[in-house]
Amino acid sequence: MPPKSKGSSKAPNPEPKEPLHLHPNLIADLSPSQAAPESPLPQTVSLRSEQRFFRTNPCEKRRQDVGLSGLTPAEKKTYTYTHLILPVANRHVPLSNKAEREFWKHVTKEGLPIRRLPANYSWGKDRSGRDIGTYSPDELEQRTLKHARLTALQIQHRQFLSKRELAAKKQGAEVSSEDIEEEKKRRQTMAALKRDLYGEITGTLAKDPEWDDVIPIPQDEPEGALAQIAYPDDYAEAVSYLRAVMAADECSPRCLRLTEHVISMNPAHYTVWLYRFKIISVLKLSIPDEITWLNQVALSNLKNYQIWNHRQLLMDYYYPVIEEETAVIRTLARSETAFITTMLAEDAKNYHVWSYRQYLVGKLSVWTSSELGSTQNLIEDDVRNNSAWSHRFYLVFSDPTDSTAGSGPTEHDPKVPDSTIDREIKYAQEKIALAPQNQSPWNYLLGVLAKGGRKLATVQEFVEQYVSALGEEMEEVTSSHALDLLAKVYQENGDTEKAALCLRRLSEKWDPVREGYWKYRATLLQGAVESA
Amino acid sequence: MAAATAQTWSDSPSQVGSDAPEYSIPSLFTSDPPIRDTLETGSSRVQDATLDECLPFLTGYQHSECNAHGLPHLDRGRHINFLHKQLGKLPGAFTSADPSRPWFFYWCLAGLSLLGEDVAPYRERLIETVRPMQNALGGFAGGFGQTSHLATTYATVLALALVGGDEAYDVVDRRAMWRWLCSLKQPDGGFQMALGGEEDVRGAYCASVIISLLNLPLDLSPDSPACSAGHTGLFTGLAEYVRRCQTYEGGVSAKPGVEAHGAYAFCALGCLSIIDSPHRAIPRYLDVPLLISWLSSRQYAPEGGFSGRTNKLVDGCYSHWVGGCWPLIEAALNGPRGAAANPGDHPLPRAMESLSSRDGLIRYILSCCQDQSRRGGMRDKPSKYSDAYHTCYVLSGLSAAQHKWDLVTPRAHESIVAGDVWTVSPYMEGEQIFDEEDRVCTVHPVYVIPQHKVEEIQSYFATKSGF
Ligand SMILES: [Zn+2]
Repeated sequence: MPPKSKGSSKAPNPEPKEPLHLHPNLIADLSPSQAAPESPLPQTVSLRSEQRFFRTNPCEKRRQDVGLSGLTPAEKKTYTYTHLILPVANRHVPLSNKAEREFWKHVTKEGLPIRRLPANYSWGKDRSGRDIGTYSPDELEQRTLKHARLTALQIQHRQFLSKRELAAKKQGAEVSSEDIEEEKKRRQTMAALKRDLYGEITGTLAKDPEWDDVIPIPQDEPEGALAQIAYPDDYAEAVSYLRAVMAADECSPRCLRLTEHVISMNPAHYTVWLYRFKIISVLKLSIPDEITWLNQVALSNLKNYQIWNHRQLLMDYYYPVIEEETAVIRTLARSETAFITTMLAEDAKNYHVWSYRQYLVGKLSVWTSSELGSTQNLIEDDVRNNSAWSHRFYLVFSDPTDSTAGSGPTEHDPKVPDSTIDREIKYAQEKIALAPQNQSPWNYLLGVLAKGGRKLATVQEFVEQYVSALGEEMEEVTSSHALDLLAKVYQENGDTEKAALCLRRLSEKWDPVREGYWKYRATLLQGAVESA
Repeated sequence: MAAATAQTWSDSPSQVGSDAPEYSIPSLFTSDPPIRDTLETGSSRVQDATLDECLPFLTGYQHSECNAHGLPHLDRGRHINFLHKQLGKLPGAFTSADPSRPWFFYWCLAGLSLLGEDVAPYRERLIETVRPMQNALGGFAGGFGQTSHLATTYATVLALALVGGDEAYDVVDRRAMWRWLCSLKQPDGGFQMALGGEEDVRGAYCASVIISLLNLPLDLSPDSPACSAGHTGLFTGLAEYVRRCQTYEGGVSAKPGVEAHGAYAFCALGCLSIIDSPHRAIPRYLDVPLLISWLSSRQYAPEGGFSGRTNKLVDGCYSHWVGGCWPLIEAALNGPRGAAANPGDHPLPRAMESLSSRDGLIRYILSCCQDQSRRGGMRDKPSKYSDAYHTCYVLSGLSAAQHKWDLVTPRAHESIVAGDVWTVSPYMEGEQIFDEEDRVCTVHPVYVIPQHKVEEIQSYFATKSGF
C-alpha cells in the first residue's frame, strides 16, 4: 500500500492534483487534517471513509434519511448538481454553452465538491482475517509505516545481494564485514516485520497448537519410486499439512499462512499457488495487499512463472470490482507498470513478464503513450531487445480504437491510420541505421508494411543503402537482412533474376549457415514465375 | 554443406606443428560471422561472450579426442549413466522439482531410448510411482496430493508409453481423463494447463498428444466451459487458436500477441500434425513461408546451434524445439511420399534439400553440449551444467539432424486423429561428419518417443472406443 497523502489544505473542496490517478486506498484515506470540524473523530478507518463519503456527497445523508422527495428544493438542486459534475465534466451530458456556464457558476458558488468519493469502499482483510476497515486510523497508519519500512529494507537487501554477486564475479567492490553485519540485522528486522504484517510461519507445524486439529497426509512413496527426492524435513512437513487442508477444502487465514510458508520453500509448486488464489477469493482478502506481498516474492524469484499466473488471476478477480472507477484502474495500471519495469531491469527479455505486460494492456486498456514510451525506453537501452519490439507491435496494432479486432499479425488492416504506419516505418528505419545486422527492426519493418498493406518496393531505396555492387567484385553488404528483404522486393517487382542473385549471395557469402533455406527461397521464385 | 566445404581448412586430418591437430572443419564454424555491427548493447555483449565460450569447443581445442571432422565422440556411456542416476534418489537440492517429477520420468526414459537402452525394466517402478499422482477427477499431477496439470499428464502418459505394456497403459483412468480435458477446454478453443492455470500453446499440444495416444472420445462434455462458445468437440477451434499464436515475425508465441519462441513453434506444429496430417493442417493454418524464414533465422554460425528467439543465444534444448520442427515442415511441404499429388494439399514447392544446416547442429551438439566431466549428460552451452531436460532434447535434436523422416501414407480421413504412416532413414546427402557409433536412435517427429511405442499404445487403445 502506498504511503498516505499528507495534504494540509483546509479548504472545503481541495482540488486534488490528479483527480483520476488515485489509488482506492488514497481516495478513502485523505489526511485527517481535512476532517470537517463538526464530525466526531472516527474510531475506525471504515467510519472515517464513511464520514468522508458524506462530506464529499452533500445531501446524501439527508436523502438517505428522508428520501429524494423529502428534500427541500434547494437541497434537491444541490444533490442533482453534485451528481452531474462528473458526467458534465466528461461530456456524457451535453449542455448548451450557456447552460454549462450557468452550471459551473452554481457549482463554484455552492462550493460543491468536484471529486466525489465512492460509497462503501471495501478495505479487504489482513493476514489474520480481520477486516482492515475495523482498524483505527492509528493502527492503519502503523501498518502503512511497517509496509514502507519493509519495502525500504527489501531494497537495501537487494542492493546487498547484487553487490555480493558482482564481488563474486570480481566486477565490483568487496563486501565488507560491516556490510555483512548490517545485512544480518536487516534480515532480523525484516523477519520481525513480516511476522507482524503477514504472520509468517517460522517454527515446525507439529508443535504449533494452531495446527493441532489437522492430521497431516505424508507422501508415503512406494519403495524404489522413480526420481524420489530427499525433501528437507520442514518442506516435507509443510506439504503434508498442505495436502490435509486441501483435501478438507479448508480456506482460512492459517491456510493462507501455510501457502506462504510452502511458497517460501518452493515457489515452483503450482498447486499451492492455485490454492492460495482460491483462499483469497473465498476469504475476500485485500487484493492490493496480496499484490504488495507478491512483488517481494517475484523480486526474489526472477525466473519463476507461477507468480505471473497468480497475478493474472488476481487481476481478473479484482477488475470487475473496480471496473467503474477509472481513477482506480489508472492508478493500478501505473503501479503494475512500475513493478514490471523493476522486473525488466533485472532481465529485460523475461518472457513471463512480457506476457503478463501484454495481458495487462488488454485487461486494463493501457493503450497509452506512456506505455509506448516505456516500451521504447527498453528499445533505446538495447535496440536488440526483441521482446520490447514484439510488445510495441502489439501496442500499436492491437489498440482497439485504431485497429480491426481479430486482424492477424500479418494481415493488412485498413483501420490502422496511415500516419501510424508512416511513424512505425520511420521508427524501424532509424533503429536499423544504428545496427543494420540487428534482425529485430527488420522483422518489425516487414510486419508494419504488411499491416499497412504497403508494397515492399516502398522501402527499396532504404534497403539498397545496405547493399552495393551486388555480384560484382566490389560487393559490399552491411546487413544480410537487407539482402533478404531486397530479394523479396525484386521478386515483388517481377525481377526474378535479381532476386535469385540476392539469395545466391546470401547462401555463398553473407549467411551461409542458412544455405538450405536460401536455396528453398530460390525455388519459391520459380513457383512465382510459373503461377504468374 | 557444399558452399562450406569449399572453405574447408584441409581435406584430410594431419598433424601440423605441435600446437593443435588440424581438423577438417569448415571455416563457417570456426570464425566470426561475416557481418558484425559495431554498436554494443546488452544483447551483443552476451552474444560475443557466447562466441568466446563456444569457439574453443567448436575448433576442437577443448577436446582430448576428435574425429577427422574435429568432432568429439558421443560420450554414450556417461550420458546413459547420468540419466539412470536422475531416475534414482535425488538430493534435497531437487526440492524445486517436486511439482515436475513426471518430467524427469519422460526426459530420462526418452533420453535412454534415444541412446539405445531398453527402458521396459523400469515398468513396474514407473507404474507404482505414477499411480498416486493420478487424481480421481482426472489427469496426473506433479506429485501425490497436487493438482492435475497438462504438462505432467503429458509427461506421464509418454513415460507409460515408453515403458509399454498393458499394465502400464491401464494405469490411466481414461474416462476421468476425458472429463478433466473437457473442463480445461476454453471458449477460445485452447486448453488451460490446469484448472485455473494459464492457457497457452503447450496446452494445445499436450492435450492433442494425450487425446490421440489414449484414443479418447472427441466429443465435448456438456459442462465444459468451451460449450458456451458453441464448441462441440475437444478439437473444435483448436487449430484456429494455434493460428492466432503465429506472430508478425513468423514464429509462434505462447498465446496470441506475444513474442515468437522456439518451444511454442514445435508445440504448434505438433498439435496441427495431430489434428490432421501435416501437409494438410500446417499450410491450412499457418503462413508457412514466414514460419520457415523465422525458424531458419534461429540457426547461428559459427555456433551451429539454434536460439529460441530473435537476438537470443544458442541453447542446446532448441536442437529439439526448433530442430524438431524441420521434419514436420518438410512433411508439410512435400506431402505423402509417392502419393498422387493433390495440388490443394501442398501449394508450396517441395523441399528437395534440408532447410537447415544439419552439420551445424551436429557440430554444436557434439562439441558444445556434452558435459566434459565424469557426471555426463547434455547441456545448454559450455558454461552451464547438464540436466535431464537438456539431455533429452539435445539427443532428440541430434536424432532429427542425423535422420530423415518421410510421411508415407496420410490417415484415411481428416476426422481421424491417428494413422499417418512415417518412415525414417539415415540422412545420406553429402559427407557424414560424425562416426557411425555416434548415431542415436530415432523418435517419432510428433510424439518424441520411439515410433513403435506410439504404434503400440495407439493400437492398444484403438480397441477401446468409448471407455
Ligand atoms: Zn535450454
